[in-house]
Amino acid sequence: MKRGVGLTLLAAALSVVVSSCGNGVIDKSTDGVPPAEATGTLRVLLPSFPPSTKGREEFQKVVDDFQKTYPKMKVEPDFATYNNLNEKLSTSIAAGIPYDVMVTGVGWIQPFASKRIFEDLGKYGLTPDVIKEKSTAALIPAVTYDGKLYGYPLIADTRAVALRKSAFREAGLDPDKPPTSLAEIKVAAEKLTKRDKNGNITRSGFDLASATGFRQSFTTFLSSTGTPLYVGGEPNFDNKAGLDTLLWIKSMINNVQPYGQTNAAQQPLVLTGEAAMGIVGGAVDCSDKGIGQKNCDDLKFFRFNSGKEIEYVGGDLASIGSRSRHKDAAWSFIQSLTKPATLDALAKLNKKVPAYKDSANSPQAKSNPLSQFVADGLIYAANENEVPANWLEMRGNFDIQLTQAVLGQKDPAKVLHNLAGQSR
Amino acid sequence: MSTTLERPALGTPRKVAPAKDRGTLLRSQVRTGWTLLTPALLHSGIFIVIPVIAVLVLSLTDYSFGDTWSWVGFGNYSTLFRDVDFLASLWHTVLYAIVVIPISMAISLAVAIGLNQKIKGIGFFRTAFYIPTVTATVAIATIWLWIYNPGSGLANGFLSLFGVAPNRWLADPATALPSLMVVGIWQGLGTKIIIYLAALQGVSRDLLESADLDGASRWQKFANVTWPALGPVQFFVLITSIVGTFQVFDLVYVMTRGGPGSETRVLVLDIYQNAFQDLKLGYASAETVIMMIVIALFIGVGRLLQRADTND
Repeated sequence: MKRGVGLTLLAAALSVVVSSCGNGVIDKSTDGVPPAEATGTLRVLLPSFPPSTKGREEFQKVVDDFQKTYPKMKVEPDFATYNNLNEKLSTSIAAGIPYDVMVTGVGWIQPFASKRIFEDLGKYGLTPDVIKEKSTAALIPAVTYDGKLYGYPLIADTRAVALRKSAFREAGLDPDKPPTSLAEIKVAAEKLTKRDKNGNITRSGFDLASATGFRQSFTTFLSSTGTPLYVGGEPNFDNKAGLDTLLWIKSMINNVQPYGQTNAAQQPLVLTGEAAMGIVGGAVDCSDKGIGQKNCDDLKFFRFNSGKEIEYVGGDLASIGSRSRHKDAAWSFIQSLTKPATLDALAKLNKKVPAYKDSANSPQAKSNPLSQFVADGLIYAANENEVPANWLEMRGNFDIQLTQAVLGQKDPAKVLHNLAGQSR
Repeated sequence: MSTTLERPALGTPRKVAPAKDRGTLLRSQVRTGWTLLTPALLHSGIFIVIPVIAVLVLSLTDYSFGDTWSWVGFGNYSTLFRDVDFLASLWHTVLYAIVVIPISMAISLAVAIGLNQKIKGIGFFRTAFYIPTVTATVAIATIWLWIYNPGSGLANGFLSLFGVAPNRWLADPATALPSLMVVGIWQGLGTKIIIYLAALQGVSRDLLESADLDGASRWQKFANVTWPALGPVQFFVLITSIVGTFQVFDLVYVMTRGGPGSETRVLVLDIYQNAFQDLKLGYASAETVIMMIVIALFIGVGRLLQRADTND
């Protein structure tokens, strides 16, 4: 009898533990409930707000705007980074408490939409035709899967090229005629590279911005030859264009730039003068707090063109979790998040450009020459294009295997063939 | 009211408790035992047994956090042995363990013997050697990132005094893993030193004095008295070191993320990458099972070596 009581108590304790682990933090659904009466916590995962006071203030403005419609709902933010985004997403799904709003990047939407982790935004009237009137065309393919829209573009993360006029003149090159093809860039970069008496590179001729991997730069260089990385989910790089591009990267590393070169501030090296030419992001601070007007005036921006003028464009894309119990509220939050003033603030905070349609006339574009240049160039957008379903796995594979090829550890042709075989 | 105490008569046979009472007494002991064990069992059940079972089951599926999954039998395992990243990770981990464990054990023992002497400032030295153990790995990794910085790092600065050309340490495929091994060895010293120190202080003074009287040299005393006395401790240090080195993750994650290429990719990083970056939880679970088996094998080998050493 006593043993029975003991076992019952044990079972009860276990069930309490299990139930608190499993369901304790999941709210009742608020979908269909009038917004003014809806209660609960909206969980949002977003790498778009930096962990600074200014970042937190801007986020609070979004929350305040959302709570005008949903006054009784709380918002629980998770300020992730792109490095731990997948980890946050996967653990939340495994724990049974997925986020209601998730902000991801280019290449995330299709794999997650295919796993039915993201919600079709068509239910809220957001279709590919509607988004064309609201967002930059550059990011619409990145939020589309199977003809439906699964994300709302927030900001565009662009890559252009910059050169130092003074370095060009010093090397006897004309800064007004920037090298745009891969072949031209290599010739110029070799002339621009400075070395010490021991042959160590002291100023890189060209910054490939690939310290953490060559996936993005390979995609960019390959696209500039008119060859997208993927077409319709099928690999398009296991060919002559792909091999030439990879061999070109290999010929540049430790020739015009040491492998893994980066600076403590993670700034593009051409902006700090550590490289004479190189890949840059979406904004430059020309004030005294940034690189200063004199340095800014020494820069000239251009785009890669080895047959096709291109500008690499990634971006932050907001989606609704398909398992969310607050989908209506999540949509309302995304509406607050995508107001032009919020996107302008996000662009400034992240040194990117807003992803709304008229980005070229945005305050961010008007604030500095680089943002203006890349916003004007969104029509030349290129990225991984139509990635395969296992793209999240392939991202890492590209970074590792391309590095092995560049460092001479593996045969470049075999690496590309292998990567093509792994894409599915 | 008075109480009379009667002394039992001498020679009276002592009352023997009936069998039923003896049983009751044992049952109460058993109950107490189970009661005391319950928190530990609950903890082990929830945080060890259930996850292990979950990993075993997941390893037979293609679960990838989506709505659908299916049984794949031993498909994940057969794929693993053709996966170059997994094989490279396994090799790097084994290499890391083979290098780090003996070197760190040898250095720790040598330092512990030094710290076991009556020298001035011994407290300071003991604290200094233990500090890396209580410091967060992320902080340690950050400091070592600076030390290994090719441009302004301490390592190149120091070596330049001897005319050695700058090295790219973590960015060079040839030196990346050895550079991490150095940090791993340094970081693991503190705990081992403390354990060895405690064991050294437990070595029988009588035996050491007897050896002195017999005219034994320092080396003879170490080889014939101290070393055999350290046997059980050596085994403990070996086991904990095997488990620790096979689980190396944070150091690699912060310092190299497995690069350049996959030169420093280790098993746990590969598991993490597969599970939480590539979202292949079933596959990562199979990898975890393999890792458990490899650790068990290493422990088994360690045990055999220990037995052989004891028999000698």
